Amino acid sequence: MSGRNGTGNTPMFEIDNLHAEIDGKEILKGVDLTVNQGEIHALMGPNGSGKSTLAYVIAGDPRYEVTEGSIRFKGEDILEWPPDERARKGLFLAFQYPTVIPGVSMANFLRMAVTNVRNARAEAAAAEGGSAQSITPREFRRLMREKMALLKMDDSFATRYLNEGFSGGEKKRAEILQMALLEPTMAVLDETDSGLDIDALKVVSEGVNNLSGPEVGMLLITHYQRLLNFIKPDFVHIMTEGRVVESGGPELAHELEAKGYEGLRASLAETSAS
Amino acid sequence: MSTIAEVSDVATTGFSREGVAVISRAHRETGASREARMRAWELFESLPMPQRTDEEWRRTDLRGLKLDRLRPTAGVEAAGVSPLSGLEEAGVENAAAQIALGPNAGVIVQRDAATILATLDAEVAAQGVIFTDLATAYREHADLVERYFMTQAVLPSMGKFQALHAAFWQGGSFLYVPRGVKVEAPFRAFSLISEPGAAVFSHTLVVLEEGAQAFVADAYRSPSQDVQSFASAVVELIVGQDARLRYVQVQDWGRDVWNFMTERAILGQDATLNSLHVTLGAKFSKSSIAAHLRGKNTLAEMLGIYFADGDQFFDHHTWQLHESPFGTSDLEFKGALKGNARSVYSGLIKVDEGAQKTDAYQQNRNLILSRTARADSIPNLEIAANDVRCTHGATVSQVEEEHLFYLQTRGLPRSEAQNLIVEGFFRPIIDRVPVEEIQHFLETAIARKVGI
Repeated sequence: MSGRNGTGNTPMFEIDNLHAEIDGKEILKGVDLTVNQGEIHALMGPNGSGKSTLAYVIAGDPRYEVTEGSIRFKGEDILEWPPDERARKGLFLAFQYPTVIPGVSMANFLRMAVTNVRNARAEAAAAEGGSAQSITPREFRRLMREKMALLKMDDSFATRYLNEGFSGGEKKRAEILQMALLEPTMAVLDETDSGLDIDALKVVSEGVNNLSGPEVGMLLITHYQRLLNFIKPDFVHIMTEGRVVESGGPELAHELEAKGYEGLRASLAETSAS
Repeated sequence: MSTIAEVSDVATTGFSREGVAVISRAHRETGASREARMRAWELFESLPMPQRTDEEWRRTDLRGLKLDRLRPTAGVEAAGVSPLSGLEEAGVENAAAQIALGPNAGVIVQRDAATILATLDAEVAAQGVIFTDLATAYREHADLVERYFMTQAVLPSMGKFQALHAAFWQGGSFLYVPRGVKVEAPFRAFSLISEPGAAVFSHTLVVLEEGAQAFVADAYRSPSQDVQSFASAVVELIVGQDARLRYVQVQDWGRDVWNFMTERAILGQDATLNSLHVTLGAKFSKSSIAAHLRGKNTLAEMLGIYFADGDQFFDHHTWQLHESPFGTSDLEFKGALKGNARSVYSGLIKVDEGAQKTDAYQQNRNLILSRTARADSIPNLEIAANDVRCTHGATVSQVEEEHLFYLQTRGLPRSEAQNLIVEGFFRPIIDRVPVEEIQHFLETAIARKVGI
């Protein structure tokens, strides 16, 4: 298993033997994956290997049924938590295909999201004797403008309806904006690089790199090695047919780039045979 | 006003010839107006109750309505009660009441059809504007009122309930804006029911002369009571040549009320009507709303928001009647339903033979928030001209799980996510009413309904 967890502390985020199905069809067939604080993990794999399903299951998508295994976040089993509770506890999923919700303005939606997540954090901090402030409307507007500027987003973004009429790149930026505002401790980014031109990719990567730090764990789901030129992962995992079949350092991504999934599979088979 | 003697004979009258006489006396009517009431009463008696074989009533069940237990003369009894008493228990703190009592050019408040407050801005009055309760208007401006009152827009012969209204009307308001006079601030009329079992007949008569502009807001409100009450409103909007009228109606009756509303607008050449109907209250609510695009080059924007919960039944019928060339009508009615609520929307775009270059749009969308709520939507076109553009559409849909999930992944509890989605559903209509106060009211009302 990956993760430099030699200190005896509970890993921050730990997926253990996770099985999940949709409409009676099993997609995840025993996923094991551990992400510690401060680590960036890349999860790669061919289409249909279950990467996006894993992302949805982590976020709590009710369409999927977990039949076996566990997901633990800061030591707590999160599978019984509804999606909103997971978010308030510090989990975030950047969607591959963000949903369009007509009539809901970005600003209004973001304010509600930030208020919910920050208030929960303030309460949790207060419970532990610390102090974290809930956010005022004025602070929120300032924060939103600041983050939008970082992501090179036009001010008019805030007044538009949630993802309605957004280009592919705009949707991805909006996802990163949400992540930047919610400041999760564990972020899953599902194919955030897909559909982005090189400039957009740089901006989005910058947004991700800004968030990453010693407190934050990240799982980047990507089909191509390209994103990893901009965001340096500590660990790379290969997923096929609902399982993580290989884990390693950044060199694994380069090997994959050189050989392709077929080639890598062949060489893996060879290694295990010898 | 009423005397002790009159009050004593009220209790036995109900809907009857004697009941009509009591109301006519209380209004100190003579001659023509009294005769008009009696003719309307005879008409009411001669007309059959609407049957479910009638297209307009096919989906509407009137069996629960007990006309014989209602007291149409409650307003006569209530007259003389000290002004403003009873406002509070009727919900003046309520948001609907704020619609009626916010900044204004004039206000009329009626309880059980008896006027308890009537104001008109002095500067507005000085320009020749008349805004008063209808009975007073009938006495003081008889020529004007008689020319328009149930003679052009809504006729007593239109149906059983319109005839009943013509016989028993009591409250209501009259707004007259002379030629070229433009008034920004809204004229507000607030009708409330406080007597259990009252039958209340409010009437809105608006006459805008050539080039005049006005904004009229009607609000209907009552606390929910155990005894069935009855509200019959008639709204007549005469929008003269090149005149502009914004009309907003908020129906927030208590859950004991059976509400029947008939509205007809008549637009002269180059006239503009922007209407908004908000239906929130009553147990049963039937609204019949029509715009006659009578002159050339008219514009009628007709918006509607309804939100039913519990066992409420809402029925909206609309007509966009294109009678002249170059008319534009743009109708958008949106409804949300929860609990066991039911709604019917039926709309007709009718284009007469001569109404070439008509541009008509009609849209009805419904959002179902529970398994047991139901919405029916029946759009219709009837086009006799050949150079027109008419579009219509209707949908009934549910909140998408995918939307709820997405919002939840951003930390919003499911209930808040649903609230946001429902508000988003209504948002395009809210944005089309460029009056901040109304927008705020709608946001609050929708949030309240979602939370019920």
